[in-house]
Amino acid sequence: MNPSPQVDSQEILATAQALRWEVGKDFHEKLMEALYTNAAEIADRAVTRPGEKPRFDLDRSIDRIVTSRRWGFLLMILLFTLVFWITISLANVPSRMISDLLIGTIYPALNALATRLGFPWWLHGILIDGIYLATAWVISVMLPPMAIFFPLFTLLEDFGYLPRVAFNLDNVFKKAGAHGKQSLSMMMGFGCNAAGMISTRIIDSPRERMIAMLTNNFALCNGRWPTQILIAAIFIGALMPAYLAGIVSALAVVGIAVLGVLLTFVVSWFLTRSVLKGEVSSFSLELPPYRPPRVMQTIYTSLIDRTIYVLWRAVVFAAPAGAVIWLVANITIGGQSLAEYIINFLNPLGILIGLNGVILLAYIIAIPANEIVVPTVLMLTVLVTGLTGAGAGAGVMFEADLESTKAILVAGGWTLLTAINLMLFSLVHNPCSTTLYTMYKETDSRKWTTVAALLPLGMGFAITFVVAQVWRLIFG
Amino acid sequence: MKPDINPEQCETCPMHNTANLMKLGLDMQGWDYVIALAGNPNTGKSTVFNALTGLRQHTGNWPGKTVSRAEGGFDYGDHRYKIVDLPGTYSLLATSLDEEIARDFILFGQPDVTVVVVDATRLERNLNLVLQVLEITDRVVVCLNLMDEAERHGLQVDERRLARDLGVPVVPTVARAKDGLNLLLQTISDVAAGKAVSKPKRFENESPELKQAIQILVEQLNQVYPGLPNARWVALRLLDGDERLIEAVHKGELGDLAPQPGGIPAISPDLKLETSA
Amino acid sequence: MPEPLFAILIAAALVLIGWLLFWPKTGIIYRWRKARQVTDRVLLEDALKHIQRCERHAETPTLQSIAGALDISLNQAAHIAEELQSAELIQIENGAFRLTPPGREYALRVIRAHRLWEEYLAEQTGFDEAEWHDQAEQYEHLLSPEEARNLARQLGNPAYDPHGDPIPSSSGEFQHHPGIPLSSMEPEKPLRIIHIEDEPEEIYAQLVAEGLSPGMNLRISEKTLQRIRFWIGEEEHVLAPIVAANISVVQLPEELVEKTPPGAPLATLKPGEKGRVVALSPRLRGADRRRMMDLGILPGTTIDVEMTSPSGDPTAYKIRGALIALRKDQAQLIQVDNKPEELPL
Repeated sequence: MNPSPQVDSQEILATAQALRWEVGKDFHEKLMEALYTNAAEIADRAVTRPGEKPRFDLDRSIDRIVTSRRWGFLLMILLFTLVFWITISLANVPSRMISDLLIGTIYPALNALATRLGFPWWLHGILIDGIYLATAWVISVMLPPMAIFFPLFTLLEDFGYLPRVAFNLDNVFKKAGAHGKQSLSMMMGFGCNAAGMISTRIIDSPRERMIAMLTNNFALCNGRWPTQILIAAIFIGALMPAYLAGIVSALAVVGIAVLGVLLTFVVSWFLTRSVLKGEVSSFSLELPPYRPPRVMQTIYTSLIDRTIYVLWRAVVFAAPAGAVIWLVANITIGGQSLAEYIINFLNPLGILIGLNGVILLAYIIAIPANEIVVPTVLMLTVLVTGLTGAGAGAGVMFEADLESTKAILVAGGWTLLTAINLMLFSLVHNPCSTTLYTMYKETDSRKWTTVAALLPLGMGFAITFVVAQVWRLIFG
Repeated sequence: MKPDINPEQCETCPMHNTANLMKLGLDMQGWDYVIALAGNPNTGKSTVFNALTGLRQHTGNWPGKTVSRAEGGFDYGDHRYKIVDLPGTYSLLATSLDEEIARDFILFGQPDVTVVVVDATRLERNLNLVLQVLEITDRVVVCLNLMDEAERHGLQVDERRLARDLGVPVVPTVARAKDGLNLLLQTISDVAAGKAVSKPKRFENESPELKQAIQILVEQLNQVYPGLPNARWVALRLLDGDERLIEAVHKGELGDLAPQPGGIPAISPDLKLETSA
Repeated sequence: MPEPLFAILIAAALVLIGWLLFWPKTGIIYRWRKARQVTDRVLLEDALKHIQRCERHAETPTLQSIAGALDISLNQAAHIAEELQSAELIQIENGAFRLTPPGREYALRVIRAHRLWEEYLAEQTGFDEAEWHDQAEQYEHLLSPEEARNLARQLGNPAYDPHGDPIPSSSGEFQHHPGIPLSSMEPEKPLRIIHIEDEPEEIYAQLVAEGLSPGMNLRISEKTLQRIRFWIGEEEHVLAPIVAANISVVQLPEELVEKTPPGAPLATLKPGEKGRVVALSPRLRGADRRRMMDLGILPGTTIDVEMTSPSGDPTAYKIRGALIALRKDQAQLIQVDNKPEELPL
């Protein structure tokens, strides 16, 4: 292979090609490794880290407690219970205040204003009973818990604790083919699934991130908790003697949430072994140094980044939904409203899976936000049953106290089975459109967004179907 | 097409390859020097670019590509500098379009100075790119940006040590606050005018077989393209099967990169004839 | 309302039908599509590959061997041979087949597509090692030369596939690996695996399960007619000679042997211990390998074991000033030198 004096460019190529086989398989690898090693050496010489040592020692003492066998899990449970408890107990008051203001005060005022200005009845209906009411509802249910939950969560994140949670739980998630950080996006999902979708950004392995997104919906979000609590109190708690009612209905709701967590693992496991098999997977988890949380900044950014952002998205979706809800209840063809036509059409399917047409229609038109499902169900039930003395008119969503809610639902043909299946369906159905839109934004993939919508929906139908049939077999 | 090179080769004369720059869509009419701005994504490269050019910039696309390109200009001393913002990349191995564009510009455009913006807080990862640029050209200035963040993270970066190890000037900056930009401009002009002497670090870590393979190729390359400034790197790329370089050898494009005979008397004209064969 | 039992039965029937239709690999639709993919062209290409392979192994391809390799009848094989001959891709002399130059070029193109696809699966997807070959068997017929070129470029123009087989260049240049079957090597010599044969499937699966991969260094400690015993680092492997014959090795120059001290996997270190990285296993590839290098896990890097998760896995390591958690199966692929006396404190 001695170069002759008369080499030309083609000969260089021939030589190079021959040498390529000779230098062997790992040439590229070796080259990269040499490059990285060189860069690392130079960087090591140039960079010093004064002031790092003592902090690291403090970090280690914290880590020793936070990730210890004895205290690790206990501390985790305590902290998260605390976060949820603070959220629930603090959110109640502002929630009621906002609701009183938006629905109790402004809504009638707007009604009066529209009447005085002489709006045509349909414009009045769409704008105020439809759009305004739906938006107000979403804000009053959604805003307070999110405004409390997100900053608390962000504080833990800022302090550096959350990556340790992922570290503690990773082994469990690994068995389902997922990433330990999914525990965090799941936790965030208990607040809001759309925010949960965004929080999957912390998972830097493509396959595991997709799993976290596709299963985030199984974390029972803020918009669905009230539904669960209400239905459990009316139908399940009522089965028990009064002194047990509270605890039993609470257990039922917790049971649903736990079922959601179990489904997360089952579905994750299934996904890694089927559709996501080919996606790239590479684990790493950095445990950043602890640092004192910057409280004010955290509150500010989590309000702006998460709360306001998610709320704005939800409002954007809820407003048109409000209009649609009002329209289907008020457009009549041959004496029957559009809603009644659709409900009659959906009823056989609904009954088959232990629900009814009203519930299915409510889930269709209330896709934008789970918060308005129950008010829509109540409104539609009054509409189809023709109950008098309840509700606020066609297309106007409302809530009532437990007793009258129960009366309306029972009049609508609800049984214990309907209640249980509604709770199940509320847990396992397509994510709300805000969440789906967020997922589409994050993945830029129609395919995966469709999977995220249809997978839980199909599962929801299957689960409620089986429960309904088994129920009917046993109880007749 | 013959590159338009100053007839009398001199230390301070521009080094860039006007003909190739033209092909890359860059008109050097009215400009003295061309500066390429390279760097990893998120290193504040655009901030540096904006700080250097101010409003004298415009954006367009790379010829025939959908990747956008910003170019601008500034005056410093008695000279006019054109500056091109290359796509942000982690390496120059040409496995993506961005990398290919950045690599081609530095290789074929032969800019007078290549400024590599690096993130002082992630030096290790950023140095990969610097080392690769240094393999192609020795007219490099490292702009050590985000020094303020490094300080906040409790890191101290010894830029003199870094400059010594890399063999090229290193300028610490905080581009956001316009700190260190004057020194950067001064350094750029020194390197452009050939006043700063660079002895770039070339990474070495090869097995004996590999060393031999490189040597064989470098010898051949030197015969065909005498004076090729980066024969070793070309050899490595050929061994790695880089299609773009194979093509460049195939078409004889590499010949354009060697200094032209007029400038260096040591090279006999007959060797040049073979290149065009 | 339908009778519940009836409803369940109908639903079960629907699920069953859906399963029969759509299930991957065994479903009717899958089989139907697969059958459609096995067109004449695929058979021709597979036959060319088979003949090329026989020539490489100095065997004589016959009608029988083609029929056997492609799982078709002798009649079909004859038909294919005829077509290949009329397209001047092969010559038939006394019943023996030989590739013509265009035929060889064609065969190499298919092999190139196959190996590129395997390399792609290994480097840029999360598919399991056991699935590479099957997938590549399909895609070798689907990739156009232009697509193969783009794929090669995207992969950084690899010269070898993940089994250590050379990938023919786009101009059809090709070199066989110089390896010798492990089964014919003598004990105690330092050897390096350069190739692992991926056919037949059963033997390949066994080699994958042993965790063997091109690029690994080994030393045979015992060789009998029944078994070959060898060591990779501190791990012992025992294979039947017929299995070992599917591993090709080259002798390692002595100077390289001394430079790579036998390391222990990082996963074997306990919290409080430290080690210096000696090598990343060849089995660490693609995104995972790049991630490790990005994190600064490179030969020479010192790693401190900090703590293990209370659930047993992962373990956190201090790497270049950062605390990074790695899972056991990853740490298993990082070889470290754990002799503390040689390490600076």
